[in-house]
Amino acid sequence: MKRKNDFIIRKVAEQYVIVAVGEESKRFNGMIKVNTSGAFIWDLLETETNIDSIVKSILVKYDINEKIARTDAEKFIGVLKDAGAIE
Amino acid sequence: MFYIKLADLNIKIDNKYPQLEKLCFDYLVAPCSEDFFVSASDEELNREIAGSDLKISKAYAESICIYRNICTCLTNYNAFVFHASVVEYEGRAYAFTAKSGTGKSTHSLLWLDCFNGSRIINGDKPIIRLKDNKFFVYGTPWCGKEGFNVNSSAELSAICFIERNVDNNITKIDSGEALGRIFNQLLIPKDKKAADKFLYLLDILLTKIDCYLLHCNISKEAAYIAYKGMNNIKEEGIYEKEE
Repeated sequence: MKRKNDFIIRKVAEQYVIVAVGEESKRFNGMIKVNTSGAFIWDLLETETNIDSIVKSILVKYDINEKIARTDAEKFIGVLKDAGAIE
Repeated sequence: MFYIKLADLNIKIDNKYPQLEKLCFDYLVAPCSEDFFVSASDEELNREIAGSDLKISKAYAESICIYRNICTCLTNYNAFVFHASVVEYEGRAYAFTAKSGTGKSTHSLLWLDCFNGSRIINGDKPIIRLKDNKFFVYGTPWCGKEGFNVNSSAELSAICFIERNVDNNITKIDSGEALGRIFNQLLIPKDKKAADKFLYLLDILLTKIDCYLLHCNISKEAAYIAYKGMNNIKEEGIYEKEE
């Protein structure tokens, strides 16, 4: 999976937000609020990847156990899928 | 074809229907070298009519499409449209925002009742522009069904989110909460570069401008409480009108 080009991330009011632009904005006109680890995962999704590889990268960057990393990553990816932000 | 000046920008408009020029009457300027040019194609008008819940005329659709196209260009000039009713009092602008039907206009009218010399710069869709590190609110002819607008501007002092309530109270909210609330009252440009610029402006707006949450009913007290809250005035009673 990877993120769609028609979504952008930006820091607004000290948090990251992801919004849809272009054609995607007709379908999704909301905003996804994201914390720094979410922004980190979003960066990983720039190129084709999978959940195992994302979890591995999280474990390198953050000092948390694998179970929590996987749960968090799956939850966040679920939100992105619901918004249609990844393909 | 005619020219208007909006938010200190000269805009050339290529219209098909005369109603638009009439709407823009107070904002017309002589032909000049424009900052940008807008028009709306037949396809855009037809799409607008097909997508509307109400039956609207082509002339009305043109007015909507032209304003949307103006909005798209505004980010290039550090400006954007904000769904709010903006009242100016003592040279400061207070933006009241909420989803349609909550009572932005009703609350603004209470201010006119309570504060001598106050006026509504725009009752529905003012332009906000960042200039010299300050945000200014500008009147525009697109201003909601009541038609409240003046061709004028004032520095934005505060943003106030309105919720209906039995009693009146106002609290300051942090920029994170304000972001969640303001988002639905803004039109994000579709173009990627423009959207990015827009979010950059939104970040500065929420950093610089104080935001409040006002729970209010429809009484003059609501206006006094809002005014005092946004000006950090703690004293009781001093702003009530003498009967």
